[in-house]
Amino acid sequence: MTDAKLTHFPEDLSPPRERPWFFSILIHVALIGASILMLYPLLWMLSGSVKDQNEIFGTASLIPSHFDFSSFPRGWFGGQVNFGSFVWNSVVIAVLSVIGNVISCSLAAYAFARLNFWGKSFWFALMLGTLMLPYHVTLIPQYILFLKLGWVKTMLPLVVPKFLAVDAFFIFLMVQFFRGIPRELDEAAMMDGCSPWRIYWRIMLPLSLPVLATAAIFSFIWTWDDFFGPLIYLSDINTYTVQLGLRSFVDSTGSSDWSSLFAMSSLSLIPVFLIFLFFQRLLIDGIATAGLKR
Amino acid sequence: MAIGANAPARVTTIYKAPSAFSRNAPGYLFLLPWLIGFFGLTLGPAIASLYLSLTDYNLLQAPDWVGLDNYVRIATADDKFISSMKVTLFYVVCSVPLKLTFALLVALLLNRGIRGLPVYRAIFYLPSLLGSSVAIAVLWRQIFDADGVVNTLLWYLFGINGPSWISNPDYSLYTLVILAVWQFGSPMIIFLAGLRQIPTDLYEAASLDGASKVRIFFKITLPLLTPVIFFNAVVQTIDAFKAFTPAYVISSGTGGPIDSTLFYTLYLYQEAFGYFRMGYASALAWILVIIIAIFTAFSFLSARYWVHYDD
Repeated sequence: MTDAKLTHFPEDLSPPRERPWFFSILIHVALIGASILMLYPLLWMLSGSVKDQNEIFGTASLIPSHFDFSSFPRGWFGGQVNFGSFVWNSVVIAVLSVIGNVISCSLAAYAFARLNFWGKSFWFALMLGTLMLPYHVTLIPQYILFLKLGWVKTMLPLVVPKFLAVDAFFIFLMVQFFRGIPRELDEAAMMDGCSPWRIYWRIMLPLSLPVLATAAIFSFIWTWDDFFGPLIYLSDINTYTVQLGLRSFVDSTGSSDWSSLFAMSSLSLIPVFLIFLFFQRLLIDGIATAGLKR
Repeated sequence: MAIGANAPARVTTIYKAPSAFSRNAPGYLFLLPWLIGFFGLTLGPAIASLYLSLTDYNLLQAPDWVGLDNYVRIATADDKFISSMKVTLFYVVCSVPLKLTFALLVALLLNRGIRGLPVYRAIFYLPSLLGSSVAIAVLWRQIFDADGVVNTLLWYLFGINGPSWISNPDYSLYTLVILAVWQFGSPMIIFLAGLRQIPTDLYEAASLDGASKVRIFFKITLPLLTPVIFFNAVVQTIDAFKAFTPAYVISSGTGGPIDSTLFYTLYLYQEAFGYFRMGYASALAWILVIIIAIFTAFSFLSARYWVHYDD
């Protein structure tokens, strides 16, 4: 497998093979049916947020008898701390994580892909080894470490590790991409007296925007969706992320206010959904590439 | 010629071999953040975790050396370890093959030069992308509630009075399996990419020889796809062992009813951050690592017999 390019899917395949028209229709019917099944739960949640309390359960219909948007302000302002604070905390953590991951992983990836130094293959093997190590092993000592540093109950344990390239997956993805960039480019630059730093900054990074964007997007989505990290490290409700806020909302409202629970759940998915809409191609290429590398 | 003879000598006098330091320094400088992270957040903690697993430690008093006691207790006297391991294994064994089967079937359907491919691909991928968030777990809890939408549909379509899925220990784990299967999108995309890599001339040659579609699938598509199937199986299994959020949210952190959704990770979390038995939880973590490692090693060994590499 060439490890250079992200595999791009042609939107229209080479000439469709001849097949009876009814067979085509059959496939589309199956696919549309499956699509409805896939989307139904999400649409049900969305429609639940504008339905009347009694209407959410007991009917499978997606269309409410009348639209009631009051669930959104009720959910947003209803809790002990309003939802905007959770959103803000999540955004800060996610944005810092993106910056940290992109910088630290690309630095390491550049060293592994392009520089020669004593012990490189040894470190590279160790880096690949960390890909397979489940986080449970390091979880408890890390917690103790952050506790001793006085970082527990702040966002530092969630953000600082991202600046230390702990997500080996991104390093791996970037190494594969960097290796595909023609060597002549940085060799020529080196002849002209460019320092490794300049080569990294002026040549590698600008040419690697697709893979950097892929890493940034996944990094954002994973941090946004992360529940376990915040659950362990954040205990003050003012520092809660959206995921924690949503869960405390489930507990505090108990079995009363379903529509505002659905409203807040739907809102919490919006950033990921928007990123998905705009960067679908990059996400899909990223997943596909990761799976085809060995 | 005099000039020609002199030239190499001039080059050697100008050229100065770089010192070991200046040859290696840039590499290590670029690697510095990763090195700090590796020693400080991965290797160091991993060694510390191994040590802690041989102690009793509650964060307040100094760790108390107990040797292999934690492991002995896990192996012989811990009902919750056994039940959580059973739940996790059941979850892995049920959800992974189903998920991969759906992923492959849909990928095959989509790989037939179909109109609207990007739209279908997006729709099938969306649930996996949203998958790990709390909102989805909350949604699942409501869907499978006693008066949730699943039971409403069962009533209208078949006249069946469905059980209260989430609070019935006979069914609660199945709802989590269904949730996992619903998220077949990312293995599907990897399958699609894998299907694209199969050279079309193989298909052309086979159909010229008059091979049937079924035969082409089993003799060409499936064997050439085995590396991708293997990758997906390993990754999905490791992920399934690590599943946490849905079980936590659906059971409100308890793993109930009667431990039917007590995933291994949830049990580990309870021991570590519920009871602050850090030593015991570290031992649990190492057992998980060993189980995942055994599984992975076994997959790689078995791969010799069924994974087809053409190089």
